[in-house]
Amino acid sequence: MTTTPPDPLLPRDHATVPVVLSARGLTKTYDATHALADLSLDLRAGESVAVMGPSGGGKTTLLHCLAGIITPDAGQVVLHTGRGTTDIARLSDGERSALRRSTFGFVFQQGLLIPELTALENVAVALMLLGVDRAGAEHSAAQWLAALGLGGMEDRRTGQLSGGQAQRVAIARAQVTGAAVIFADEPTGALDSGTSAEVMDLLLRSTTGTGKTLVVVTHDDDVARRCARTVRLRDGRIVSDSLHAGAAA
Amino acid sequence: MSAAPVIPAPSAVATPSRVSLRVPLRLAWMLARPTATGLSAVALPITAFALVTALLLTVVAGGLSFLRWQDETGQLYLALAAIATALLVVPLITLGGSAARLSARRRDERLATLRLLGAPASTVAVMTVAESMMLAAVGALVGILGHLLLMPLVQLIPFRGEPLGGSVWMGPATVALVATGVVVLAAVSAALGLRKIVISPLGVRTRQEAPKLHWLRAVVAVAVVSGVAMVMGTLGSAGDFAVVVVVLGVGFAGALGVLNLAGPWLIGVVARRQVRSAGTPERLLAARQVLDSPKDAWRQVSGVAMTSFVAVFGGTGAALMSAAGPLEGSERFLGDDVRTGVLITIVASFLMVACSVGVTQSSLLLDRRDLYVSLDRLGMPVGTVNAARSRAVMVPLLVVSVGSALAAVVVVLPLAGLALIFAPLSVAVILGCLAGGVGLVVLGLRATRPVLAHILRTPASAL
Repeated sequence: MTTTPPDPLLPRDHATVPVVLSARGLTKTYDATHALADLSLDLRAGESVAVMGPSGGGKTTLLHCLAGIITPDAGQVVLHTGRGTTDIARLSDGERSALRRSTFGFVFQQGLLIPELTALENVAVALMLLGVDRAGAEHSAAQWLAALGLGGMEDRRTGQLSGGQAQRVAIARAQVTGAAVIFADEPTGALDSGTSAEVMDLLLRSTTGTGKTLVVVTHDDDVARRCARTVRLRDGRIVSDSLHAGAAA
Repeated sequence: MSAAPVIPAPSAVATPSRVSLRVPLRLAWMLARPTATGLSAVALPITAFALVTALLLTVVAGGLSFLRWQDETGQLYLALAAIATALLVVPLITLGGSAARLSARRRDERLATLRLLGAPASTVAVMTVAESMMLAAVGALVGILGHLLLMPLVQLIPFRGEPLGGSVWMGPATVALVATGVVVLAAVSAALGLRKIVISPLGVRTRQEAPKLHWLRAVVAVAVVSGVAMVMGTLGSAGDFAVVVVVLGVGFAGALGVLNLAGPWLIGVVARRQVRSAGTPERLLAARQVLDSPKDAWRQVSGVAMTSFVAVFGGTGAALMSAAGPLEGSERFLGDDVRTGVLITIVASFLMVACSVGVTQSSLLLDRRDLYVSLDRLGMPVGTVNAARSRAVMVPLLVVSVGSALAAVVVVLPLAGLALIFAPLSVAVILGCLAGGVGLVVLGLRATRPVLAHILRTPASAL
């Protein structure tokens, strides 16, 4: 595992936690707009990071580059695992797709579950894509649903779930594969404040509580305060990077 | 530091107690504009309506051209043309209905939202019907142009020993009548498809439960097939050819009804079994997608059911004529002309099936672009998505084509048996038609792959 120089914006002891994902010199331009401008960032094991900033500031582009959904015009994104390091930006489409299946998990604002599938099947499909047989996949999926308070709702379809329940299914789907890093894009954006707090509780407990890394893109200060660290972007650059003393994780 | 801007409280807006027709029409225009919906949202239904119009005009023109023959054989040709037209009108209506439903479904979300915002049912109804009619009218105009381009080729088709020639040209009044019929069809389909939005806007927005089709559909289907088969069994004793034609026509209409009744139910039964046994993501996705709406799955492939029917009927008829030996006098071209008619019918059916699958699949992809983009982000391979889409069409297709061919064989059992003995070529025609239909649907599906690739290449507008 490689080490990176300590970030001067963060306390010294933070730098001792192993890095899971490191971005160096990320640049991404859409037409004449600089979505990312020479941005560098380290994500460490077990931390929760809120990415904030104005619309068009580069939040979603950063998340997509870190997750290998898009490749930067310049710079690198290195994944550190027990098996070594991988420069995600140099992988082919198929390799990045495989990496997203096995190593990353995603929670979207609208849940975006497959509407025809039941809650159980929506979670199990993530494992089936990795080659797990259906019985085994559904067994693990059922355990995740029960752990997230959805026991007894396995056979419900998306339309029969509330917004909060659907997001819990999405959280289970993101983690059932044992993903090391979970990316959440406005995961509570479509929920009321009470449900939002519940969903964030579950998201934090099930990720950072078990040593996984959580990256949340959000506009919501309450959501950001629940995270251990907040990175603020403007015009594709980091303008602040701070740890919260009283964060949930 | 500048003070925060003060946002004035909105003043109460006077609302009219009764909404005039102008409001829904203006809303319909706002929502139908390509700038509001994306070009593809209007291009697909317009293309479908254009194809429906062009094919319908060409079929009607061919049929009407037979009116110039006033002799006894001419009457027979007219009867056969009527049957061929009936064969094509049903799948044409299906395709037209699909196009109308397609354009209506594209508006489901927006219309349901309008309902939730308090728009009266009448506003939503007028908007839906008006938008469908606008798209259908544009499609009909394009279709008329397509028909005019096709006509030089149609003129070359030989019947009774000579090309159809100028007799296939229809007057502007007939063309206008047919085009108007397409627009009316769009309006009726849109109005029927609208009921669920008007009745329950939440039902549309949340996609609650998968519908279940009653097993009574199968019972009725078996009863009708048995009844028709019994009637067909008496055909051997009917000496008058006209009686045979009428009985065949009635039998065909009954069997078509049966197909439409039993088809969705059978597809649902097969999909339910496949959901239970699916061991891979693509199999599970495909089976669940079909089970979500067996009627939609049926509509996509019902054209092939009709084609299978045509193949069995046409193959049997042509085979029996060949077996009966050469005819003389004005009927000497009858065998060749029946074969030509059957081929035209099959080609037209295949075209409709390809259009139906292409249009429906493209529209499904566009409607669910957020979902497909999210699946791509989760790491689901494009191959898995395409395999699931393909299975969701091909499994119902095989069920339907084999099932309808078997139903047709049952209906014309005595005649089919004779044809098999005297002219095994008819069997080859049937198998060839089925293979051709399946191949065409595969092509229709493949043609939609670039749509998915485009959606995944430009995800910014989706998520």
